[in-house]
Amino acid sequence: MRRCLPLFLLLLAGVTGLTGANGVPPGRAALVAALLAEPDAQPAALRALVGVEDEAILPVLTAWKQGEVFLYTGADGVRIPFRLDTAPDDQGRFAALAVADGRRLLDAEGRPLSLEATALKPIDTDGAIRRAMRDVTELAALVAPDVATRVAAADRLGQGLKPEHRPLLEKRLQVESSPAVRRALHVALALFDLASGEPARQLAAAAVLEEKDSLAGATQLKTLIDQAASQPNTVDSAVVARAKSAVYSIETHYQVVNFVGTLFRGLSLGSVLLIMALGLAITFGLMGVINMSHGELMVVGAYATYLVQDLFILWFGKSGTAFSWYFVAALPAAFLGAAAMGLILERCVIRFLYRRPLESLLATWGVSLILQQLFRLTFGAANVQILSPDFLMGSVTIRDVTLAYNRIFVIGFAIAVVVALVLLLTRTSLGLTIRAVTQNRTMAACMGVRTDRVNMLTFAFGSGLAGLAGACLTQLGNVGPGLGQTHIVDNFMVVVSGGVGNLFGTVLAALGIGAFDQVLQPWLGAVMGKVVVLIAIILFLQWKPGGLFPSRSRNLD
Amino acid sequence: MIHSWKTYLAAASLALGGALLPAHAAETVKVGVLHSLSGTMAISETSLRDVLLFTFDEINAKGGVLGKKIEAVVVDGASDWPLFAEKAKQLLEQDKVAATFGCWTSVSRKSVLPVFEKNNGLLFYPVQYEGEELSKNIFYTAEAVNQQATPGVDYLLKDLGKKKFYLLGSDYVYPRTTNLVLKEYLASKGVPAANIKEKYTPFGHTDYQQIVSEIKQFAASGDAAVVSTLNGDTNVPFFREYANAGLKAEDVPVISFSVSEDEFRGLPTKDLVGQLGAWSYFQSVESPANTAFKKAFFAWLEKTSVPGIEKKGRVTNSPMVLSYVGVYLWKAAVEKAGSFDVAKVTAALESGVSFNGPGGKVTFQKNHHLTKNVYVGETLPNGQFKILKSFEQVYGEPFLKGTFGKK
Repeated sequence: MRRCLPLFLLLLAGVTGLTGANGVPPGRAALVAALLAEPDAQPAALRALVGVEDEAILPVLTAWKQGEVFLYTGADGVRIPFRLDTAPDDQGRFAALAVADGRRLLDAEGRPLSLEATALKPIDTDGAIRRAMRDVTELAALVAPDVATRVAAADRLGQGLKPEHRPLLEKRLQVESSPAVRRALHVALALFDLASGEPARQLAAAAVLEEKDSLAGATQLKTLIDQAASQPNTVDSAVVARAKSAVYSIETHYQVVNFVGTLFRGLSLGSVLLIMALGLAITFGLMGVINMSHGELMVVGAYATYLVQDLFILWFGKSGTAFSWYFVAALPAAFLGAAAMGLILERCVIRFLYRRPLESLLATWGVSLILQQLFRLTFGAANVQILSPDFLMGSVTIRDVTLAYNRIFVIGFAIAVVVALVLLLTRTSLGLTIRAVTQNRTMAACMGVRTDRVNMLTFAFGSGLAGLAGACLTQLGNVGPGLGQTHIVDNFMVVVSGGVGNLFGTVLAALGIGAFDQVLQPWLGAVMGKVVVLIAIILFLQWKPGGLFPSRSRNLD
Repeated sequence: MIHSWKTYLAAASLALGGALLPAHAAETVKVGVLHSLSGTMAISETSLRDVLLFTFDEINAKGGVLGKKIEAVVVDGASDWPLFAEKAKQLLEQDKVAATFGCWTSVSRKSVLPVFEKNNGLLFYPVQYEGEELSKNIFYTAEAVNQQATPGVDYLLKDLGKKKFYLLGSDYVYPRTTNLVLKEYLASKGVPAANIKEKYTPFGHTDYQQIVSEIKQFAASGDAAVVSTLNGDTNVPFFREYANAGLKAEDVPVISFSVSEDEFRGLPTKDLVGQLGAWSYFQSVESPANTAFKKAFFAWLEKTSVPGIEKKGRVTNSPMVLSYVGVYLWKAAVEKAGSFDVAKVTAALESGVSFNGPGGKVTFQKNHHLTKNVYVGETLPNGQFKILKSFEQVYGEPFLKGTFGKK
């Protein structure tokens, strides 16, 4: 939120220039009054801001809500609300800037005031205050520069059905140019009309709601239909018929929306599964090592991300664009960290067990328990907090289908990793030797390939991919010592049903399982959905024991 | 590895016992601490072990119970339910403890229940639970459903004017039973069944896309709220998805019954600002008893030498405080009975001992539950709750199923 501050200061500078040295613009004066009021009186004081046009209102209220507005009591007892400057000075203190005019506060001796952020107690908010804030910000948001903000504001005003808001909506509709906002405004006005009780307006409203596929509208229309059924003479029969056809049309639209949404969600879940399973597809699929500690290698990647994040917080602070880039830096760190761990594991344990899969299963399970306890001792048993970078927060809505940025990122990331992997395996000499060794180790050795070295590198590479998956998971769920255990079964499930040793099979299996799971969920719920997916996989493996694409590599016999 | 961890713990608890053991061994009374210090539940339960050890030290420093110092026997249930029963047996038969403080999950409580009944032991259970249970050997300092879930829903109904409810929980006994009671409660308040949706997800579920998109459409009418009984870990992916989908606390609030201050240590709190919680204690409760408790506990954390106790970033929460008041109520009952004998202490507890705890006055009822204050609060950016509403001295009622329709 602090990113708004420079803009806000700029605006302030402009406005103070216009109003002269003493004149505080009305919006800001009312803001200060609201901030200084007793908590009980604050909602009322805030509502005084309704309809006041001042661009400072939105940023200040947002900062207040987030606990970033503080109170300074001067030597003379005058209380001044202030915010902190965006960047700290060299001692880690922040300049205090008055809300009223953006000027720097001075202490008793007249020196500029610098404060430590942690020592301050923000001006509180509670539900009532925030609802009052919402009333103000909704109207302010109706003229906000951002389209999504305006749409949300129109939606909420339409649901609120407060008569005093209707003229404001109509006024806005006359000047609004964005189609999305116009749609939201039309829907909001139609909701007002629907509640008016006049048949002509209700009929028109039902048509508008149908045309705009409004879900909130469908709810209101259904209420109207119910009302007609329970009190027959209150609603015009033509209106009821029109409402029924409108509801049907809206519901059909949402069936399509849900179908497309489910496809997207299936793709995104499939991508998550895929990213997790790719590392295993290398170490288990190509090399034939049953590595039960694969999940813990993902955890290494996740904790590497956590450490990089903490370093960035140390260097750049929690807000600001520099911090957001921590995730980009974390990806190579996660890869290298997990690869290093994989290298150690291969050298110390696995290379002695290449011909003994059962022993490698037990040994790596032991390793996984050791690693889990190591994480617990190093990072604590509790989950660690990982903040999402700004560009992975939020979502975009296309024709009522919500696509979250972090999900889009995961899909893109999965594609990138698969492409990189295929290129590596088919276009580089390392890839060539990897394929040679995994297909026929003895023959490759005869041809002069250093099989021991290739095994080591391949395993480290697969582990590195697990690390990348771990880094990706930090953006979706929690990070704790048990993270690996949660996902290891899914990993093996994907690789086995795809066909051990076949990358393409892994890709198809991951996407298939993801889509299947998401399609089942709305019908059966998350629990039964998962059960059915597992049963389906068992039946599938009965039918095709080798998975989708059974491998005919000799080393797996 | 599990084995060696346990040996380590056993050694640690022995060492601890040794440290607490004064010159005259006869002057001590043994008390059991039965929590998971490893495995999935360790995240939550180690805090309870810490606060119990603190309470024993605090009582010992003031002369102990009936002149005897408390000697803690700490055992690790390791998030393994049958192991809980074994450890309970060990505490009762081998160590002959006077009372035991422990368990978090309902399934762990259910697995030790027969052990306590058979050996006539005494268990104090501190974590909010689903009710429908009453053992003569268990005292529930925990919140019953009517001391957390129904007041929370009341707040949504009356103060926020919500009309539609999405009941979302992890798939196990506590959420299912609680939601069963809540559905009856909502029906008795005139909420039609069409306005209530109920969904469960497995333990450790990480993919909340489908559910969040469903909530978004469910809440499109603007008067819906989510009642969440999701436990621990699954809250992170849920709230991440929730915030990413653009759902906000002001429009569609989530009230959670399993997220306390302690859980916030691992949650992205920014995503949770404004979401609601209901407990019988918040760290932000302003009372002299709470100030004193927090001061003493944090001071104890600073100087304690017990191995494995995290010292940084600690908070207090309801289960911790209910563990704390449990020990004091047991002490009061022992002193009232003048004996450590289980039958006499039980009689004293049932007669209604009370204690002025950090969350307000608590009193044991005849039905082994506590009368206590209940608070509804909302999350602040710093992971604390701001108290919005308090319900004074609510009577704990474990059997609620089928009671709401009869009025």
